[in-house]
Parts: sequence; structure tokens; C-alpha cells
Amino acid sequence: MILTGGCLCGAVRWRMEGAPSAVVACHCEDCRRTTGHHVACMTVDAAALTLDGAAPRWFASSETGRRGFCGTCGSNLFWTATDWDRIEIWLGSVDGPTGLTLSGHEFVGSKSDYYDIADGAPCFDRLAPEDRGFR
Amino acid sequence: MSRAGTTATGGCLCRGVRYRVTGPLREVVFCHCTQCRRSSGHYAAATACAPGDLTLEAEATLTWHRASDIAARGFCGTCGGNLFWKPDHGGHVAIFAGTLDAPTGLRAARHIHVASKGDYYRIADGLPRFDLEPGA
Repeated sequence: MILTGGCLCGAVRWRMEGAPSAVVACHCEDCRRTTGHHVACMTVDAAALTLDGAAPRWFASSETGRRGFCGTCGSNLFWTATDWDRIEIWLGSVDGPTGLTLSGHEFVGSKSDYYDIADGAPCFDRLAPEDRGFR
Repeated sequence: MSRAGTTATGGCLCRGVRYRVTGPLREVVFCHCTQCRRSSGHYAAATACAPGDLTLEAEATLTWHRASDIAARGFCGTCGGNLFWKPDHGGHVAIFAGTLDAPTGLRAARHIHVASKGDYYRIADGLPRFDLEPGA
């Protein structure tokens, strides 16, 4: 599949050609404090992603992980890690329909208290099975 | 240690922005508009307070972006944390609920702008849904 996307102001643009290995939501505290709610993302081969326009600004959010966002408008876009050949793309940044469906919720033990997870998708204390092989 | 009158504290991931609220917080509203979806990376969850009740205790990295002619979005320029949505009318400041220190004691009340929601998730929590915004 081919998907395109970008940030709110249009400075950072991306194109992905490939098949996502995981489409999940993450409720960890790092994702909460950066997105302002929780994350929904697809994991793809790093080689499947092409960036265009302004370079994202990267923040090292852990020893190995880093988060990519637009330095102009603050849009949250990516997460990846050192020595990892994959990248997670935040689904809110996709242009138009994605054709994808969330298949699970990760780190639900860290979720905040103001919302419920009610869509019936499987919940995991840490990573979903389709994510475990990769990190 | 809590300070008298404080109803909530919060901040971004890198703690470049930290805030304190001394006053009532609105129930949480989920916004599925295209601007909130692009900025947050999914959709937004926002509480709100009176502008005078919000104190910034750290703001060195706070950056404002105007995506529309009615409001500005406040985010952290270091970690990208989405924090505030401040309408020009000055009636309130929206605070993105994921940045509140948990537990928040708040509950979500409704979904707005659901006509522009993404196709990859379902709204299944039973809360009222509005295609646009009530009263808008």
C-alpha cells in the first residue's frame, strides 16, 4: 500500500510504500505527554518511508528511542529507536483514508483515568504480539 | 507537596513546560477535527480552565503556532508535547488532558467534529457525538 501524510502546517511531508507490521494504540506516559492523549500508529520498515520538505525535529525520549515532530507546528509524527530498522508513523498524520484498523492497545496499565478503552480490541500491559518481534 | 487551591498540575514529556491550575477544570472533550488529528497524531482530548487559573511554572520551551485565525496551539519545542489550545476570544484555555499528571479525576463527556474522524478507529465509549461542535 501507498500512504502519504504530513504535519499540520505542511512543512514535514512523508510517503510510505509497504505493508505495516502493526497498527496499534499506545497509552504509555511518554506518548500521553507528547501527543496530549494517546498514540495510534503503524509500524513500517524504515526503508519504506520517504521524507520530504523540512526535516522533523527529534527528541531522545529514552536511552534508545526518539520521537519526531514538526518544529514549526508541533505535530507528532514518528517514533523509532537506535539500531531498529523500523519506524512508527502516527496515523493522525495520514492524508485521507488509511484503510487500516487498530488491532490492539499497548501499555494500558499506564493509561490516564479520564477515558475508557471500549472498542473491544485486545489490551496489553506492554507490547502487542505483532510488535514484540521487532523491539 | 500540593499548594492550596491547586486542582491540577501537568507538563510535557521533557518538563520544559510545566503548569499548575487553580480553579475548576472542564470535563474532557474529544476533538476529531483535522487540525487536532494532524497535530496530536491521533485525536485530541482537551479539558479547559479560565485563563487566569493557569500558571506556567516552566515555559522556556513553549512555542505557539497559529493553525487557524481563531486560536493558537501551544507545544514544547524540545519534545513536541502538545499542551494548549488558546482561542483568541480569551474565554478559556484548553489543556490537552494527556499532559495532566495522573490521576486527573476528570471524565470525558463528548466527541466533537466526528464527521472528520479517521477511518482506523471506532468510537465505542457511548458518549454523545457531534458532527461539528455543540453551539458552534
